[in-house]
Amino acid sequence: MWLYILKRLIQGVITVWFIATATFFAMHNVPGDPLLNDRAMTAAIRSNVEAKYGLDKHLTTQYVIYLSNLVRGDFGISFTQENREVNDIIREHFPVSAILGILAVMFAAAGGVLWGALTALYRNRMPDYIIMFLVILGISVPSFVVAALSQLALVNFNSFAGRTVLPVAGWGTIYHMIVPAMVLGLGTMAYLTRLMRSSMLEIISSDFVRTAKAKGLPPARIFTRHQLRNAILPVVTVLGPAIAAITTGGFVVELVFAIPGLGRYFVQAVQQLDYTVIMGTTVFYGAFLVFMVIVVDVIYGLIDPRVRLK
Amino acid sequence: MSQVAVNLQKSPTLLEVKNLAVEFDTYGGTVQAVRGVNFTIEQGKTLAIVGESGCGKSVTVQAMMGLIPMPPGRITSGSARLRGVEVLGRNTIDGREIRGAEIGMIFQDPMTSLNPTMTIGDQIAEPLQVHRGYSHRRAFDEAIQLLELSKIPEAAKRARQYPFEYSGGMLQRAMIAMAIACKPSILIADEPTTALDVTIQAQILDLLNDLQKETGMAIILITHDLGVVARMADEVAVMYAGKIVEHGSVDDIFYRSAHPYMLGLRAAMPTNDPSLQHELQPIAGSPPDLFSPPPGCGYCARCPYAMQVCGSAHPEDYFVGETHFSRCWLHHPDSTLKPDELYFGNMD
Repeated sequence: MWLYILKRLIQGVITVWFIATATFFAMHNVPGDPLLNDRAMTAAIRSNVEAKYGLDKHLTTQYVIYLSNLVRGDFGISFTQENREVNDIIREHFPVSAILGILAVMFAAAGGVLWGALTALYRNRMPDYIIMFLVILGISVPSFVVAALSQLALVNFNSFAGRTVLPVAGWGTIYHMIVPAMVLGLGTMAYLTRLMRSSMLEIISSDFVRTAKAKGLPPARIFTRHQLRNAILPVVTVLGPAIAAITTGGFVVELVFAIPGLGRYFVQAVQQLDYTVIMGTTVFYGAFLVFMVIVVDVIYGLIDPRVRLK
Repeated sequence: MSQVAVNLQKSPTLLEVKNLAVEFDTYGGTVQAVRGVNFTIEQGKTLAIVGESGCGKSVTVQAMMGLIPMPPGRITSGSARLRGVEVLGRNTIDGREIRGAEIGMIFQDPMTSLNPTMTIGDQIAEPLQVHRGYSHRRAFDEAIQLLELSKIPEAAKRARQYPFEYSGGMLQRAMIAMAIACKPSILIADEPTTALDVTIQAQILDLLNDLQKETGMAIILITHDLGVVARMADEVAVMYAGKIVEHGSVDDIFYRSAHPYMLGLRAAMPTNDPSLQHELQPIAGSPPDLFSPPPGCGYCARCPYAMQVCGSAHPEDYFVGETHFSRCWLHHPDSTLKPDELYFGNMD
């Protein structure tokens, strides 16, 4: 098991290196120039600024400097925000995105497993029809629509209650997190519900569940010990990519709810061709996701002995 | 029909199934999978239920175990009495759970019949925890003993392994250990050796025989393999199109076959006797459509002896020996057509 984790971590480092390299060269191939803004810039100032950021050097030299800085955990300073370190931006804003993302993933996974199992157990009956209809809604309605509608609902709810039960936007307390996390996790939850339903249906008619019935086990025990654990495996598999989708897709929700997350800087940096911020956030997000996927794989191994022991 | 029960009751009857009928609702209509099945089984004996795919042999025992999904399934009539107490539609008799405690069951494909994410030992321990209220530790220790009883080497180590670490034959042994964990009075084996290769088959059958001698349980063996029947069974019930068409001792069935269907099966059986150079004779045609079963004998359309009455009226059980009956008009007392090969000591 430890050997397996070590192997996965080494693979992860290679993946991150690949992401870093691809981002670096892709950035430098994008037409445009980070220093090209509406302020007039004389050739002398320009060469000074280029020297400050190392842009006057050859691309391979830049790449080597970039990589060696990366290894030391230094993403450099922002091109557009004067003397602001990329590390500071990440340190300040990533925890916000991470908390929101993790809450959303937990909400999505718990809801998906619960609703999926429920629809499978009530297949082709009323609860199944109702939940599956809502699932289609959850998948097809984009998150900014849901975000705006939920804000409207919150406003009405708060005025009906006569006090602020849940804030409409902003960040700070646990109350600020609940609704954005639900909105952010909704699409993934709907997707996981469908996955869980089909996987559960397969398990319900499997031979070993029949064996469990023939052993005379009570339905609750069959559900927890035999059905759930096996049906949950496909859900755990997609949890890695789901975390990726949620944390990177959090930008829209962060914007609507005025949450100071990393997503905003990520998008802004791309628009302004802020090399260091783009590369810093991309590599950081990449490393984070690679790490989460490894964590998910380890969890998978804990659930399924066939993965663990082979 | 009631004659049957009386005549077969030589020693105390353990299980008596009477007039059991099961239907399934499907999109195409209602399938009458089992159409009035009667049999009894005595303690310590082995009853083999044989028949081709779709004849209702598995459905019969699954109905007794309450394993038929309802809907779409439906038990339309009949009773199954274990020591005189009805089991159909009930979970317990005399405070003992029927499934897993009174009746154990093993299935055709051991590879898929065990939970892949649970250790073998835990799976064997489960019925003991549930039915006997054992602690996990005590049940697990008992599971190791059961694995030893099922002749699994290094049982203590093996109990901590998962199904994917076992071979097919070992999995079936583990299934057997699980089924007999609570000392059931009946073990139902639903095609226990079909998925295994021949040498493993023999070992599993030997194991079942040994366990039966040790525990005195009755075995209901469901199979379409006449070789397995000859090796294991005391009594044989031949099923066709949802009904038992011939019932008798294993010798009656093989040496004094009375029903034309059983005769047809024997003609289709390979032999290892070099002096018999006959070709295998398949039975022409296919079984009747059980969406709308024929008004008469189900075998009529394929039967070389078919008479006018066969197509229009159901035959009853007619005794051709003390405990041997055939559900065929040829054996009606008034039948004038009595082909030699269907009467007593017909073939060697």
